[in-house]
Amino acid sequence: MPTVTMTVNGKQVSADIDPRTLLADFIRVNLDLTGTHIGCDTSQCGACTILVNGDAVKSCTMLAVQADGAEVTTIEGLAENGEMHPMQAAFKEHHGLQCGFCTPGMVMSAIDLVKRHPNPDEATIREELDGNICRCTGYHNIVKAVKAAADATGG
Amino acid sequence: MAEYCRPAELGEALDLLAGGGWRILAGGTDLYPANAARDRLPGAVLDITGLDGLDGIGKQDGFWRIGAATRWSSLIGADLPPAFDGLKQAAAQIGAVQVQNMATIGGNLCNASPAADGVPVLLGLDARIEMASARGYREMPLAEFITGVRRTALAPDEIVTAVRIPDPGPAARSHFLKLGTRSYLVISIAMVHVMLIADPPGRVADARIAIGACSPVACRLSALERELIGHPFDTSLADRVREEHFAPLSPIDDVRATAAYRLEAAREMTRRAIAAIVAGGGRR
Repeated sequence: MPTVTMTVNGKQVSADIDPRTLLADFIRVNLDLTGTHIGCDTSQCGACTILVNGDAVKSCTMLAVQADGAEVTTIEGLAENGEMHPMQAAFKEHHGLQCGFCTPGMVMSAIDLVKRHPNPDEATIREELDGNICRCTGYHNIVKAVKAAADATGG
Repeated sequence: MAEYCRPAELGEALDLLAGGGWRILAGGTDLYPANAARDRLPGAVLDITGLDGLDGIGKQDGFWRIGAATRWSSLIGADLPPAFDGLKQAAAQIGAVQVQNMATIGGNLCNASPAADGVPVLLGLDARIEMASARGYREMPLAEFITGVRRTALAPDEIVTAVRIPDPGPAARSHFLKLGTRSYLVISIAMVHVMLIADPPGRVADARIAIGACSPVACRLSALERELIGHPFDTSLADRVREEHFAPLSPIDDVRATAAYRLEAAREMTRRAIAAIVAGGGRR
């Protein structure tokens, strides 16, 4: 079995794994970081979105071995010293969730979005979140939260 | 999946392929959904995303060269002349951001789906496909590379290394339109890519029209291209589009749309794409 080594939320992890292990499963099962959700398993819903070397990807569309040597950030890695990331705080403040299942993926995608569009308008936010599906259809507050986080981080 | 290998050198990858039995993996966005049940993931996987020099965009000897492992998100952000606007529009509509961050231009072509958004664009840009194997390099037009539904001319021991596009020049303008059942994250019902070049007196000097998802392999509408050349580059241009120009298409009825709807959509989108280029002014 190949050995995979990567940095997850700032910490180096290493494991011998079956090469067909999906990155989403590696994160959830091997690392016990269950904040990354698996919704559809077919790269559509976006619940499993994480950052790999800073870019948003769907972790069900990537093998863990492909992330060998990469910097991975999951929802668990956003808070610093017990303080929520501004995007998390904005989702809380604006209630950008209903059942919460899509939320980790939404937050990770939103961080990638604000990185590329520091001052996004509503249309840009809606367009850029096209890879994340909220089955509760709670998009309105999600969009508000992303806008607020972008404003708060000096966009 | 018995084995996984991610070489850094092209020569190593080609030697492995020469031994046979490998499935090439690039962005993985087609491979995993197609094998969604984990136990159906293919046998031995050769990951080419670690290969040196397989991604990136450059220009040399009158050709634009896009490395096969170049991700769609890199293309969207690339500094390219307006002839590539249609390519960027297509790139921005492939999957969603997370997919664009993984999926590669070479993978889109090798997967050879009739609904591949990159194919009509690259047909319209007269793209050539560069391939390598332990036997050496070869190159062929994209129109010959894709031979059918999910079939290509790529030999089992070959890797697509680059897409090469003859420089369309600074006057070329392009536009891409895609129709799906929703605006985002859907498989296309029909796509159209139009590239037009207007000469200084204001006539069409060159026209290239390609339609996707309406035939087993996306195709160019050469009769329509001939029709447009020489006509004034003005708002009347879109009116030159007629039903008989779409004879090369053979759309199917499926869960997404009927054949008749696809045909009508292709016609209307072609008119709109031509009108959009004319409205944009043609020359900067």
